[in-house]
Amino acid sequence: MGWALLFIAPATIGLVALYLWPFLSTLIKSFQDVPAFGPATFTGVDNYTELLGDGEVWQAFGNSALYTAIVLLGIPLAVVLAALIEQAGRGRTVYRVLFFLPVVTLPVAIGMVWRFIYNGDFGLFNYVLSWFGIDGQYWVADPRFTIYAFAAVGIWMGLGINLIILGAGLQAIPKAVYEASALDGAGRVRQFFHITVPLLSPSIFFVTILTVIAALQMFDLIFIMLRSVNNTALADSKTIVYLFYEKAFVQFQQGYGAAIAIVLLIVIMIATALQFRLQRSWVFYG
Amino acid sequence: MKHTWTAALAVAATLLTACSSGSGSSGEAAPAEKVTLTYANWSEDQAPAMEQIAAEFQKENPNIAVKVQTLPWPEYWSTLQVGAAGGTAPDAFWMLADHFREYAKGGALIDLSDTVKSTGIDMTAYPKAVSDSYTYEGKIFGLPKDFDTNGIWYNKALFDAAGVKYPDDTWGWPQVQEAAKKLTDPAKGVWGIAAPIDAQGGYYNTILQAGGSIIKPGGTASDFAGPEAVAGLKFWADLQKAGSSPTLKQLSDTEAVSMFENQKVAMYFSGAYWAFRFHNNADLKGKVDVAPLPQGVKRATVTSGIGNAGYAGSKHPEELKKFLAFLGGTKAAEIQAATGTVLPAYKGTQQPWLDSMPEFKLQTFIDAIEYGVPLPVAGNTAEWQGLAAQYLAPAWDGAKPVEEAAAEYQTAVDEVLAKQ
Amino acid sequence: MAERRRTWPVHLLLVIASVIMVVPFVWQILTLFKTTSEVSRIPPTILPQEFSLHAFETFFSTVPFWSMFAVSTGSLVLRVVGQVAVAALAGYAFARLPFPGRNALFGLFLAMLMVPSQLFLIGQYGLIRDFGLLDTLPALAIPGMFSAFGTFLMRQAFMNMPPDYEEAARLDGANPFQVFWHVMLPMAKPTLAALTVLTGLYSWNDLLWPLIVSPSGENRPLPVGLAGLQGQFGTDYPTLMAGAFVCSIPLVIVFLVLQRQFFRGIASSGLKG
Repeated sequence: MGWALLFIAPATIGLVALYLWPFLSTLIKSFQDVPAFGPATFTGVDNYTELLGDGEVWQAFGNSALYTAIVLLGIPLAVVLAALIEQAGRGRTVYRVLFFLPVVTLPVAIGMVWRFIYNGDFGLFNYVLSWFGIDGQYWVADPRFTIYAFAAVGIWMGLGINLIILGAGLQAIPKAVYEASALDGAGRVRQFFHITVPLLSPSIFFVTILTVIAALQMFDLIFIMLRSVNNTALADSKTIVYLFYEKAFVQFQQGYGAAIAIVLLIVIMIATALQFRLQRSWVFYG
Repeated sequence: MKHTWTAALAVAATLLTACSSGSGSSGEAAPAEKVTLTYANWSEDQAPAMEQIAAEFQKENPNIAVKVQTLPWPEYWSTLQVGAAGGTAPDAFWMLADHFREYAKGGALIDLSDTVKSTGIDMTAYPKAVSDSYTYEGKIFGLPKDFDTNGIWYNKALFDAAGVKYPDDTWGWPQVQEAAKKLTDPAKGVWGIAAPIDAQGGYYNTILQAGGSIIKPGGTASDFAGPEAVAGLKFWADLQKAGSSPTLKQLSDTEAVSMFENQKVAMYFSGAYWAFRFHNNADLKGKVDVAPLPQGVKRATVTSGIGNAGYAGSKHPEELKKFLAFLGGTKAAEIQAATGTVLPAYKGTQQPWLDSMPEFKLQTFIDAIEYGVPLPVAGNTAEWQGLAAQYLAPAWDGAKPVEEAAAEYQTAVDEVLAKQ
Repeated sequence: MAERRRTWPVHLLLVIASVIMVVPFVWQILTLFKTTSEVSRIPPTILPQEFSLHAFETFFSTVPFWSMFAVSTGSLVLRVVGQVAVAALAGYAFARLPFPGRNALFGLFLAMLMVPSQLFLIGQYGLIRDFGLLDTLPALAIPGMFSAFGTFLMRQAFMNMPPDYEEAARLDGANPFQVFWHVMLPMAKPTLAALTVLTGLYSWNDLLWPLIVSPSGENRPLPVGLAGLQGQFGTDYPTLMAGAFVCSIPLVIVFLVLQRQFFRGIASSGLKG
């Protein structure tokens, strides 16, 4: 008991001082009008009612949801690629290293490189599209496309980590299972759907949870690719965390910003709980 | 694993010493002791001049050291705000008119009214439009550092190539529209003008030139939907419609000033603060000059300037006031002028600036003070200005009539103003 | 494998995918040798027409690379060491040492994982300020040292270990710390590596926090310098690409050398989830 306290003390003190307390003070602020300087005034649920009628907030939630939904498409892609890498024999490590490169690159750097690639006039992406006779777009300057453009980068960035986690899951599947089904005459594609996917489902589930939490909190890309330049697409492309940042740190409305953040937290918790509920129907614990 | 523990102990030791030294130094403030002031800005271009000013100040005040720090622009305001709210802002820092009111209202700025009186600073030496921007409820919270008015930056080579006469003070709106059209050459990827959604260099000026106002007197309502304001906004929407400017999307990918530097646009309405950058750009040697903004119903340009302000929570208020007074004085102005970085606010110190870049008709910007109008501020200016792109873009794109977009923007701005 | 299968279709697909992964980096490297006017040419040139190194010159004359590199590295080491120590201790207690309210407390740790990190900024800033740590290296590292993520990861690791060794040690008269130190911790090495790698990544990449806790502009890490570069050189793409390249390359090298540890570490974080 005494030992347990000793072990737990540093983490708990840190948690309370650096996470729990800041969280609670944000929670309190969400019920206040907080000017940039000077005392706050208690305003009850005003921030929350204002938020419900604020088109900007709804749009930001919509953008975050869309971004998350698209980034989730990266998971089936990662499952297929992980399975392919598993079969690649020699050269496996080379593939893993290549797919992992974006993970070890500074997000700021990634944002810069992709902003350049997405440039509507002289960007590489439109140039490649032109080889196939496809008309280019202003990917990060046209609000119709920004979220999709970000999501593509999001998938690209996250693939490396997902592949490693899924790869580890694949290696844990006993080879005998495959051998038995091969004797039954199952082809590679059938094996993939009947053995790999079900037996890998716990890892897929884990990756899904991580992806959703991270995607709902997307901030860096938009900050680097849109805010630092005078971009008119920004107005329609804000994600929810970006909006929080803008309200709390740029526009002197910490109370309102806090309320946005609290609502986001509730959304994340609901999404996570939902996934845990849903996993019963598709995750297979052998 | 042994290393882990040794290192963890080292961390703990660092923490402890850091804490104790931190609390130790804050208590002592003997007057004879050397104090250090911090001075924040957001411009790498101007940082050397700021260093020079700081060095000059230290020569006169050996007991006060000044540390110049440059923050990246996108993070400048969030960093300053967190610092000011948390009691640790830099002692002195650059301020802008549209952020000033929130800081002054919140009591975050040091009151300089007495310093101005006791050191005999002549407030009339600054352009009134700028010094007024840093006055709140009759108190002076900032001294003008520089000022800027707007002009037409133009690329002579592109004008020559298209056989168009250079802009001059006889130009009105129609001349700009015509020239922009003639200068545009899609085959070469050249446009006559850059027409972004830019308040300070762009539509504020044309609204004023049309005889409009941006904020109604009293500061509780805006005036974007009035016929004059609509005319001023239309000026830009028309340029877009005629194809004389890169589209908004192109200007989002590549900012207007970069388009101008890359010689893709022939005209760019903007401030004096670009002179130094254009001057240093080897590709633009001998190709760039500046002319007054065109006349609408009348002549007008927005005037503003950076102010030097101090933090109310500074540990060394007396030294800080001394430094701010120095920043507002002639010597600091002369250093800025001589290095060519910006147009100093102090009257009579501008000649070295003009001389430092003789290839541009920089006198244009000084002459424009006569018809300069202060940058409009009201309520939470940063907030309602942030809404402009969203509401005005459909007008620029041609998706909505200008009248409609302007009316919607006005409603949104008034909502923000009503919150005060 | 019972029968030897053809692997060339597998390789074909993987090579296509790898090319897509790597193209942005290749493009970045090609661009940084071009001149500013060449990069805005339509259509773009693939190889640099006139090989130029001005981008590197501009970058190194603008950004104090080495001092920022030192800050990035120093704060990374501090943060990793702190996080590993704090998390291993707490994770072990949560997994193996019963105490009243254990589950509730752990629930609290878990809940904090779901809170967007930006939400803690103001409170954390206040604490760092009150301890007089602003502008110091520890300020950059401290919040990350106490991230609940590490505790969560370490708990998972300890939970999955067979209890036999522990009991044997205890019967030999070892106290809980000795058990933890001599028996359990060595077995948790893969997870420790995972935590090191992940914490190191977060630390190296952090942008917003370093800006806020360094009001005087001292002790700023590489991402801050890089972000500043963009403000200053808006569309001077060669310089931006050079900056992005130079600031990213240290971690990429570390990764190439220690890739096995990176992979094993990250894999172990997922396996037991």
